[in-house]
Amino acid sequence: MFSDYAAFIVLLPVIAFVLTLFLGKKLYSGGALLPIAAIAGSFIISFGIFLEIYPKDGIVQQSWPWFAGMNIGILIDPLAVVMLMMVSFVSLLIHIYAVGYMAHDPAKPRYFAETSLFTAAMLSVVLSDNILQFFISWELVGLCSFLLIGFWYHKPSAAAAAKKAFLVTRVGDVLFLAGIVLLYVNMSEIIAGRGFTVPAGNFILQFKTMFAAIPLINPTQLTYITLLFFGGAIGKSGQFPLHGWLPDAMEGPTTVSALIHAATMVTAGVYLVARTFPMFAATPSTISAGVPDSLLIVAYVGGFTALFAATMGLVMNDIKRVLAYSTVSQLGYMMLALGTAGAVVGAQAVGISMFHLISHAFFKALLFLCAGSVIHAVGTNDIREMGGLFSKMKITGTTMLIAALALAGIGIPFINIGTAGFFSKDMIIEKAFEYGQLKGDFIPYAFAIIAALLTSIYIFRLWFMTFTGTPRSERHSHESPGVMTRPLMILALFALFFGFAHLGFYDYLNKNFELLTGEKAAPESGGVQMSPIVVLLPVLVGVLGFLISYAIYHKKMLDMSKLVSSQNPLYKLLLNRYYEPKIGADIIGVKLTHDVVAQSGEFVDRKIIDRLVIDNIISNTLFKLGEFIRKLQTGVVQNYASITLLGLGLLILLLRIKFGGT
Amino acid sequence: MSLYTYLLISAIIFAIGSYGIITQRSGIKILMCIELLLNSANLNLVAFSSFNGNATGQVFAIFSIAIAAAEAAIGFAILVALFRVRDTINLDDINILRW
Repeated sequence: MFSDYAAFIVLLPVIAFVLTLFLGKKLYSGGALLPIAAIAGSFIISFGIFLEIYPKDGIVQQSWPWFAGMNIGILIDPLAVVMLMMVSFVSLLIHIYAVGYMAHDPAKPRYFAETSLFTAAMLSVVLSDNILQFFISWELVGLCSFLLIGFWYHKPSAAAAAKKAFLVTRVGDVLFLAGIVLLYVNMSEIIAGRGFTVPAGNFILQFKTMFAAIPLINPTQLTYITLLFFGGAIGKSGQFPLHGWLPDAMEGPTTVSALIHAATMVTAGVYLVARTFPMFAATPSTISAGVPDSLLIVAYVGGFTALFAATMGLVMNDIKRVLAYSTVSQLGYMMLALGTAGAVVGAQAVGISMFHLISHAFFKALLFLCAGSVIHAVGTNDIREMGGLFSKMKITGTTMLIAALALAGIGIPFINIGTAGFFSKDMIIEKAFEYGQLKGDFIPYAFAIIAALLTSIYIFRLWFMTFTGTPRSERHSHESPGVMTRPLMILALFALFFGFAHLGFYDYLNKNFELLTGEKAAPESGGVQMSPIVVLLPVLVGVLGFLISYAIYHKKMLDMSKLVSSQNPLYKLLLNRYYEPKIGADIIGVKLTHDVVAQSGEFVDRKIIDRLVIDNIISNTLFKLGEFIRKLQTGVVQNYASITLLGLGLLILLLRIKFGGT
Repeated sequence: MSLYTYLLISAIIFAIGSYGIITQRSGIKILMCIELLLNSANLNLVAFSSFNGNATGQVFAIFSIAIAAAEAAIGFAILVALFRVRDTINLDDINILRW
């Protein structure tokens, strides 16, 4: 019954967007209730669909023809339905929280309209049944991200950050689009040359058609296609080397950071790889073909990003930037999971990665909302000016501690009690270890385990510096209102207990591609028995990180002033974010793009095309010709009449010559 | 009389009209010449219609006469307006519509 209304999952927030934009000013709290009601509706429909399809392992497919063999459609399989529930639920909580957080902002209708549009776009990404609709929604999501990062556009830094986000993700989007074009070319080729037929009622760029065509596509081409897709994912999910925009995106309101740049939008890249996972998995797994297989690249980029971003998280002083680097790092974990587990357990990797994606959405949204609550109370982003807040903000402090424990993956191994992150992240690290055993390549595992240690250090550094010790500035902080703290508590419950759903979750997601393509998934690889040390190590490094932060930032057992100074080259390197903004903006942006490409383009356009070709040749000739011809217009009516008659005579003469006659 | 005679008369009227349009300078005379052109065409229509036993041509001629009446009314109205402004309807003096 609910599945008949699947289209309303997207349509409700779209309607709310329009209404809020135009009528928001006249309504309570800038029209916040419209998006909240709409997204609650989306969540209810998503949840209803889940309840409908879960018991019978069904999927929902609806499709309408569009143009030239393309379609618009809805595909809700296990992968999509869990994403739909997560996106609409987290978005709902953040919208409620925003009523309190944005209470003093004059532009509330614009805020709520844009977040509502964003939610619609993201939901549309999730339930697309073809890659083209996926791409269109993906771009819409990027647009909303741009608008919301630049929400306070009168701040130059926010305007610059919005521009940077737009341009950097554009690099990825162009790669993604190129991937779609290449895919389309290959599909047309196999339809023309190898007898592949698109079944009636299916369309060429639908996911199930794509998956059915995998065995026929040239493997090298398939690798290129998947790598181009992954390029899009790199841009959207802030993976190295296109990660720079994500920390800068923290210029937007904190609720936007929580909604878009932590919980939902940035996971679209991971979702893209998960969605097209059968293609990634089918790429040739040897380097002998001259190209490495795509999963290897996914694993390495993800693993490297996880570690690379975590190192920068260690030294940031802006509470939101620490969390931003944490997001980049965790997204790296999800990619790593797809890459390594993909090689070990095939399509089950999707379940492992998605589980981390969803538990991450809960605790990272929670972390950001707590940070927002702190910023709301203290009025600054700088953790050096905070401290001792726990006594004043008990709810925020407690929920943030829960989120930090979840992020660090704290739990008790062997008896399986722990936070959401404990289940999801440890699974990823264990799979990375299995990958190492299988391929004799422990580098991804090393990335993962070191990043886990750093994660734990930076998040507890953040917590200790914010909530414990003595206040480092004179500010009258207070606990946030109930409309803000209640979403925190709900998210904290999920961050604590969501992990226990892991077995059912994996089982459910494992069926995903089987349900879609009708092919049986590869049988389970028998569950390699892990040595206890491997199971224990992720938790151990988590606890170790906690102890290190406790010793340094709470007990002040180590004097950090020597390490944390501009004299220390390593600290400087990290604080300057590996000079990424410098390289990205100054060298690539200004020197290369502006000074070389744009300037030479301007020279060719202005001096050669405009001046030489257009001015001298085309327009001068036309002017001279016009000067000559205008003399014909004498203004004497008889002249015109004579010429008309002359023309008539000529016409008759021509007709006579042509057709003869008497 | 044969069809040929009608066509010949029509051609003569047309030639007179054309000659008038080119040589005359007075706006009124030119309008009258235009009427000659139109009516030579009407004559053709009626002649063909009559000789081919088909009434369509005559219907056309009636339409054409009605339109010619409207056209003449507008033409004379323009000339009257022009005369009020410029005190002349000699077309040699009215040549501002040019480069």
